[in-house]
Amino acid sequence: MVQKDLKILNRLGLHARPAALIAQTAAGFACNIELTKDNVTINAKSIMGVMMLAAEFGSCVRVTANGTDEVQAAQALEQLFNDKFNEEF
Amino acid sequence: MLVLKGIPASPGIAIGKAVLLPGENLTVSKHYISLEAVNGELQKFERALQKTMQELDECALKVRSTLGTEYASLMDTHKLILQDPALKDAVAHKICTDYLTARSAISLTLQELAANFDKIEDPFFKERRNDLFDAGKRLLANLEGNKKDFLASIKRPSLLVAHDLFPSDTISLPENQILGFCTDVGGKTSHTALLAQSLNIPAVVGLSTASKDVANGDMLIIDGENGLLVINPDRYTLANYRQIKRELKKTESLLKTINHLPVVTQDGRRVHLYVNYDPRTDNKYNKTLITDGLGLLRTEFLFMNTPVPPSEEAQYKIYLAVAKRFDMRPATIRLADLGADKMPDFPLDELNDDDNPFMGCRGVRLLLKNPELLHCQLRAIVRTACEVPAQVKIMIPMVSSVEEVRHVRAAFSQVLEEFAKQGQKPLNKIALGAMIEVPAAAIALDGMINELDFISIGTNDLIQYLVAVDRVNPEVAHMYDPCHPAVGRTIHNIIQTAHKRGKFVSICGEIASDAKMLPLLLGWQVDGLSVTPRMYLRVKNNIRNLNFEHCCDLAQAALLMGSSAEIRELVEDNNHENS
Repeated sequence: MVQKDLKILNRLGLHARPAALIAQTAAGFACNIELTKDNVTINAKSIMGVMMLAAEFGSCVRVTANGTDEVQAAQALEQLFNDKFNEEF
Repeated sequence: MLVLKGIPASPGIAIGKAVLLPGENLTVSKHYISLEAVNGELQKFERALQKTMQELDECALKVRSTLGTEYASLMDTHKLILQDPALKDAVAHKICTDYLTARSAISLTLQELAANFDKIEDPFFKERRNDLFDAGKRLLANLEGNKKDFLASIKRPSLLVAHDLFPSDTISLPENQILGFCTDVGGKTSHTALLAQSLNIPAVVGLSTASKDVANGDMLIIDGENGLLVINPDRYTLANYRQIKRELKKTESLLKTINHLPVVTQDGRRVHLYVNYDPRTDNKYNKTLITDGLGLLRTEFLFMNTPVPPSEEAQYKIYLAVAKRFDMRPATIRLADLGADKMPDFPLDELNDDDNPFMGCRGVRLLLKNPELLHCQLRAIVRTACEVPAQVKIMIPMVSSVEEVRHVRAAFSQVLEEFAKQGQKPLNKIALGAMIEVPAAAIALDGMINELDFISIGTNDLIQYLVAVDRVNPEVAHMYDPCHPAVGRTIHNIIQTAHKRGKFVSICGEIASDAKMLPLLLGWQVDGLSVTPRMYLRVKNNIRNLNFEHCCDLAQAALLMGSSAEIRELVEDNNHENS
């Protein structure tokens, strides 16, 4: 199992487009991936789940990946968060 | 006979038989199946899912070319929602273990998911439940036969009645078979209204109960002029509307004969007549109009229905198409007038819940507080002017002080410099002007007119602020009065001040297409008017039938009057004499 705490760096937070990116990326891995914020845990492969986290700018989200490709999955998600979901303004 | 009052979304009158778009509503009742039927229901669900995904793909393609990327990206979100395990697994689970029909299982799952969205406190995220319901309704529509097939099967010219219409539905409408449509939901600028305008057919929206009150085959009259739906009209009403329809048609064909003639009064005064243009509602009729140019491009639509502000590239593409459409004629682009009743979906600084939004952070105030929005929009406009030799004009909304004009001009100069550094420069000089709609700007115009290349009077807001009346409030709506002496005097003063410095003044807003007020506007020496494509030839015809000298006398007389009643009598008597 791999766990990482990631911070939301894009100003608009996890709205529909970043949520879509997370769900699409997560769906590309075989392992189970969960996101946790404020005691709410959701499946990262679910766009609605990610949107329901309502994670705003500056908040922290814990990624938990569990399965064969858990290391790569956690890395890919970390990359997305660090790139601010390719939103730069 | 039953008459429903709604919102006029697209003008004209349509008379014919009703066709009701079949149910797309969520069911609340649970319908159970036997164990043997489980596989069948699962397959039904799977097929509907496939069909919906396919439909979304097709329609994203079509929508992108007709309505632009904003709607198209909506389809992508819908696709992801349908693929979401939270939806798929829950529905499958309800069919397999609770023995529910596919329809009940989907409805129930959607309601459960929506309830989760409702728990979110942030209003921006909460709004996403609408996406969920839109996607869900599509799915349900595909479950029960195919709505697309239904629409395509309409063989006789009919009036379409629906709870709501999606852009994707209207794309599958058979051409020339739908004479008009009406919906329970929607407002003047909803996608339904825009589509009706682009199809050039009458439409009334916001009727609340139309889809319940109308039965298939009912005789209907859709009155897009007044926003009425008449169900099973009596003989007298029907004859009356047929007469009105004939007259409308006659006037319209007569008007077409003046399309190529110049916009001058009988005694030779030239008036510049521009068109308010919306790329989303362009149609064959609009394209045939010969105009003096584009008087007002409202850019707010680019910022609505999108989770992020539009990129420079996205805006540039639209402005370029607009500039090309109006080739060498002026193309006036108004900077985004966001705030008040036009709230974007993405969060912005200084744009929180506002108790008094019309007096709050809107127009240029909001742009100056979000300089990255202003910068991006200015870049997209300048880039357009570097690409094509258009007469691009930039208009600043909601200006109230000269400082605001200076700030925007500084931002504009900075953008020009950025382009100059890359060796690019506008092929024609870009004019920078302001919308005069705040009384303070009107009264102190002499202090800022030197910094502006042109002005346009935004009469809708100017009147509202002058008489301190909120048009939406029924208690005071009747006091919103273009004939108020303060309105005429203010317009006259604005024009005088601008003309002293040799600056061009145009007027946009409903007053510009009001036949009774037109002689006064001309008499006060306005240089140009901007009206909707639909009103264009009517206004042109009115101008061509006026005598400028007579207008001047009339306008002078109005300035001396002290009450609305006197001015109203003056313009109404005059209108009577003319017709």
